[in-house]
Amino acid sequence: MQLNKWLKQACLAMVLTAGLLSSAHAILPIEKLESFRGAQAFLVQTKALPMVDIEISIDAGDRYDPVLKSGLATVAGQLMNYGAKSNTGLLSEAQIADEIADLGANLTISVGGERAVMRIRTLSRKDLRDRAVQLASGMLSAPTYDAKILVREKQRMTTALLESETKPESVLERRFRKAVYGDYPLANSPSAQSIANINATDLKQFHKQFYRGDRMIVSIVGDVSKAEATEIVQSLLQKVPQSGSPIAKLPEFNRSPIEPLSQRKINIPFDSQQAHIAMGMTAVTRSNPDYFPLLVGNYILGGGGFVSRLMSEVREKRGLAYSVSSYFAPGKDVGIFQAGLQTKNDQATLALEVLSTTITQFIANGPTQTELDAAKANLMNGYPLRIDNNRKLLDNVSSIAWNNLPLDTMDVWTKQVEAVSLEQVKQAFQKYLAMDRMKIVVLGAVNK
Amino acid sequence: MRSTLLRFAFYLILFCPTAWAASGASTSNTHEFQLSNGLKLIVREDHRAPTVAHMVWYRAGSIDEVNGRTGVAHVLEHMMFKGTDKVKSGEFSRLVAAVGGRENAFTSRDYTAYFQQVEKSKLDEVMKLEADRMSNLKFDDAEFLKEIQVVMEERRLRTEDNPSSLLYESLMATAYISSPYRYPVVGWMNDLVNMKASDARDWYGSWYKPNNATVVIAGDVDPKIILQAVEKYYGTASARELPERKPQTEPLQKGIKRVQVKAPADSARLAMAWKVPKLQPGALDDNEPYALELLTAVLDGYDNARLNRKLIKQERVVNDIGVGYDMISRGPELFLISASMAKGKTVEQAENSIRKALKELVDNGILESELKRIKVRILSEQIYKRDSIFGQAMEIGSTEMAGFSWRDIDQMLEKMQTITPAQVQAVAKKYLVDEGLTIAVLDPQARQSSSKQGGNHAAK
Repeated sequence: MQLNKWLKQACLAMVLTAGLLSSAHAILPIEKLESFRGAQAFLVQTKALPMVDIEISIDAGDRYDPVLKSGLATVAGQLMNYGAKSNTGLLSEAQIADEIADLGANLTISVGGERAVMRIRTLSRKDLRDRAVQLASGMLSAPTYDAKILVREKQRMTTALLESETKPESVLERRFRKAVYGDYPLANSPSAQSIANINATDLKQFHKQFYRGDRMIVSIVGDVSKAEATEIVQSLLQKVPQSGSPIAKLPEFNRSPIEPLSQRKINIPFDSQQAHIAMGMTAVTRSNPDYFPLLVGNYILGGGGFVSRLMSEVREKRGLAYSVSSYFAPGKDVGIFQAGLQTKNDQATLALEVLSTTITQFIANGPTQTELDAAKANLMNGYPLRIDNNRKLLDNVSSIAWNNLPLDTMDVWTKQVEAVSLEQVKQAFQKYLAMDRMKIVVLGAVNK
Repeated sequence: MRSTLLRFAFYLILFCPTAWAASGASTSNTHEFQLSNGLKLIVREDHRAPTVAHMVWYRAGSIDEVNGRTGVAHVLEHMMFKGTDKVKSGEFSRLVAAVGGRENAFTSRDYTAYFQQVEKSKLDEVMKLEADRMSNLKFDDAEFLKEIQVVMEERRLRTEDNPSSLLYESLMATAYISSPYRYPVVGWMNDLVNMKASDARDWYGSWYKPNNATVVIAGDVDPKIILQAVEKYYGTASARELPERKPQTEPLQKGIKRVQVKAPADSARLAMAWKVPKLQPGALDDNEPYALELLTAVLDGYDNARLNRKLIKQERVVNDIGVGYDMISRGPELFLISASMAKGKTVEQAENSIRKALKELVDNGILESELKRIKVRILSEQIYKRDSIFGQAMEIGSTEMAGFSWRDIDQMLEKMQTITPAQVQAVAKKYLVDEGLTIAVLDPQARQSSSKQGGNHAAK
């Protein structure tokens, strides 16, 4: 079999080059490709392995769901590989799955709050790569949205949804989102009813409205030249329209208001062994100038693995929880701060108190100089681990492109961490976080 | 997080990075050494990026535990971060963090492993720390009493409140009578409640010896320099005779076993597990384990594989389905099919559909094209795996722990490519029979949740 032979040879060549050649290890540059059909495109060339990763980000996330059809964006994304029109005619879901498998390619589609993301990992040999791109192109431009398949997938989603309503972590997360996102559409989660409301026409309509060049970004990492990458982008988007009808503006993302505790705290009675606790509020976007002080500060508060303050107070000193952490989730247009833990029910009150006190003190006083130095040392010394393979490079390029960050973001990242001062961390936490605005969700038997 | 419990062992074995090269060339990026104290060192050179993964693997997992002290391998893993003669409790993680390292540890049925990933110039510093805790671990009883609470919280999180884990736990405890694979890696709750600091210390004293350890280092390194550093830091540890490992061979199962678990859930779940053979070290030519490995992929290896197509898409009897088998491990192996029910479908219907799909395969065989597709995937995955140096270190370590050499990986991959449709059909016919079958069913119970009622006091 031809492909088999080629793969064997490729493996041998790879062992020899990747294994034995040394390189200078400069940070690989991001090249901006010519935009096509209104879509921006970016490339990082890396030749050591005969493979290429391609990502298409589409501004078509859950936040565009109509209230009564929550789940629409996700279904529209997920059903693209269950039938599509390609250059060679209509492809069934079985044909698509077989073709992906035959190519030795991987294709995933995920839909998040802000964007839908399609990722393709393929061998870089031209004929295989071309077929993978053709397949993705058909899905992006002409998914079938077969009504019978929709019925099946709606049933599966509903079943999974009902299952998730019995899981403490899912119930907590849904309730927390509702509280923290307020009037912004990401407050909504799909329900059995909202999924039932979705029909094939909705999917076609949604796809037509949102899956267009001016809402897409292509990021490519791997063994292709600039010319080949440009060809990939054009072939990927050949049938995608450049733009379409105007899209209604999303509501403002308002800062979590100051409220008395009784208005901010939600108790969910739940018959589980552990109580689950979430605390958080609206915060910043990725392009916010205070991103780095918050990143460094949160490493100290609850982001830094086993050495954070929360880990020390909750787990190391008191043995209250296995996992406790805090993080900022900065998007392009919205962002939140969230902290949480799980503990056996009779310790829930104590654990919440420790969590609140630790965060309160950090906002009030900021970190110590020793903590700041340790955080910067970790983030700066560890930076090479954030970019040491194709997958991680793709994550970086994709984030830079989606968030409109400068193309030298990876080159200056450690300098930006280094520049963060004690005062900046303290000021940034005081500017964006406040205990009298924090939403608190406590789920567990403690509430019964 | 620290102590990811690898209940299902890895499938990494399929994805060898160095296959098909002539033996000289294929091993030219991997180097093996043994120290005089018995410690084995394997270095995989990969110079794509200036980073390195440093792992130490101890051949001590839950398979080495005895009843009443289940979970002690995993508890000791937690205690390994609690200090040595020179390094105070918690200091290990702070020092690794200071050099920008990522670190963690995990316990499985077969082994316990610890790792750090660092920029290459920092390797010596983490190696020094890791070597120190191989011989000089020292924690007091108070630290133990706090940490055992953390481990119990981990069990509550991952098992007690997780019906799929409860089901799997019952399945293993039912399928095996004698093999210690019947113990959950995290341990039974009652054993954790009654565990003493001395149990953990005894475990450490028994198994944490250089002659029971393999160090795997992958990344942008020079093997000669690495060997010097490993000699310097790990060379001081002294070898000791290990406790005797009894074979505890599982008696032959003579008929179907069934177990039911009631737990809060919405959908029922079904797990069917057959006793099947595994690959034995020194007998790499045995066709059957490879054929079983390929059978898993024929059934569920891609979106249009047999069980996905028939049961999820056509019959719509299950919502999700998964198939698992590991051809290498220290203990006995199961071929496992598990599924969650589609709305309105019963476990009896799902069991019938699974049996029907297997019967069709046994009666009519599989297509050459099905197998070819899977073999191509195995080859391409092997290239993709090279993208991660950590993945490469994982593959080497887990292979070694199962009693094989990293050198065997080449041969296993070669062999996998030679398996025929008839051989896959033959193992399905021979082993997927009721004599060696255990069936576990999750019977879903209502759980009080607020999602359909009030009980909260939010403004919105």
